Amino acid sequence: MITNQKTVEPATGEVMISVHNLQKHFLSAKSEVRALRGVDQTIVKGEKLVVIGPSGSGKSTFLRCLNRLEEPTGGTIIFDGVDITSPECNINLVRRRMGMVFQQFNLFPHWTVLDNITTAPVKHRLMTRAEAVDKAMSLLKRVGLEEKAKSYPSQLSGGQKQRIAIVRALAMSPEVMLFDEPTSALDPEMVGEVLQVMKDLAEDGMTMVVVTHEMGFAREVSDRVAFMDDGLIVEEGTPQQIFTNPQNKRTQDFLSKLL
Amino acid sequence: MSSALDNLKSQFILNFVEKDRWRYFVSGLGVTLRITLFAVLIGIVLGTLVAIVRSTGDKLLPGMRKGPGRIFLGIANGLCKIYLTVIRGTPVVIQLMISYYIIFASSRNGVLIAIIAFGINSGAYVAEIVRAGIMSVDNGQMEAGRSLGFTFVQTMAYIIIPQAFKNVLPSLANEFIVLLKETSVAGYVAVRDLTKAGDIVRGTTYSAFMPLIGVALVYLILVVFFSWLVGKLERRLRASDH
Repeated sequence: MITNQKTVEPATGEVMISVHNLQKHFLSAKSEVRALRGVDQTIVKGEKLVVIGPSGSGKSTFLRCLNRLEEPTGGTIIFDGVDITSPECNINLVRRRMGMVFQQFNLFPHWTVLDNITTAPVKHRLMTRAEAVDKAMSLLKRVGLEEKAKSYPSQLSGGQKQRIAIVRALAMSPEVMLFDEPTSALDPEMVGEVLQVMKDLAEDGMTMVVVTHEMGFAREVSDRVAFMDDGLIVEEGTPQQIFTNPQNKRTQDFLSKLL
Repeated sequence: MSSALDNLKSQFILNFVEKDRWRYFVSGLGVTLRITLFAVLIGIVLGTLVAIVRSTGDKLLPGMRKGPGRIFLGIANGLCKIYLTVIRGTPVVIQLMISYYIIFASSRNGVLIAIIAFGINSGAYVAEIVRAGIMSVDNGQMEAGRSLGFTFVQTMAYIIIPQAFKNVLPSLANEFIVLLKETSVAGYVAVRDLTKAGDIVRGTTYSAFMPLIGVALVYLILVVFFSWLVGKLERRLRASDH
């Protein structure tokens, strides 16, 4: 793969998620905060979209709207041909097909690693317990943590927790993975191991939407980078375009502060 | 000195041994424990449901879209608030008598009515304990559960409530101890609990000291015993903190 030959347009392939005029307003005590002010995006199957931007730009809100952990105030999100913002849509069934990884890992502390991974597919009757355990063990092996199956989350390091959280999401065989700043809560020496798992996942062809501050990861893995500021996608393009030749003033400012 | 001892001895025989009066105390103790145990079970079920409605209502209602869900949750939350205010704002004896003489006036099963009345009463206090427990669980747990496709109810049942209970188990056990003593007013509705047993014996023997001190001792032993169990439980929980 030669990165600089990638182009943004046209987005070829099967459309997985298309977002139109997405808006999210929060009601705070004094005023209304407009976290998203009309975001449009099309994510095709197998694409890796990285969303960057300063804090408070709405990038996490955008990601969390995609599986409606955050209820959009306006606009539509079409996932696999279905409008998931409509009241008729059963969001619980949609979420089974969208894995999510959080900044704070959010493993279930009262369950073992294995139960963290297997409970959802078993309770949803997608697999028998034995099948789920088989799948969990092979996924754990892939991230090098099969000996931690019987451990509790509190016995793991941050990097291990996050790798388990990724496995937990993968155990549902999702069609798309959403990452909400997956390395931001990690000690620096543990960032690499988590990014490596994400890179492997990307190479396997997983559709990924990643909110991150890891510009190296964005440059290396993403097909497309979207820069958000003040509730809007201000600029987007290939990593090559965004990192070496940003057009927008605010993108330039943001990237210059990072370097 | 020996005459005082003799006096105590004869009092003891009069109040506990003669005519097998100890049977009153034993059966009274059984009634007290039965009321307390079942009332606490009702209280935990009722209190947990109320706690879920209250904590969900407080969290979601302000940001919720208009619609049937919001109306339903709003009404449920309002009813729970009224329940908590009324139950915690009136004496348990009054609640018990209202249950016995007004609400269940057609039934004369005092023990059952006492179980229900104390259960409803205890539910209000358990609700506040469990609500604190639910709020002590990080919000990310709910989000992680929902992101895996669990419904709100499933996430509550599998993920939030088990952690909430673990956090408040000592307080819940304490509620059991408090309730054990509160049931001593069950005699107001013709229930022969431990306190009433002492009172009956006092009324027949015309001696107050032995039956009342005896009853007090039994309560004290029970409370000390259960407090010891709670302490043991707390240490176990702390040790298993993963």
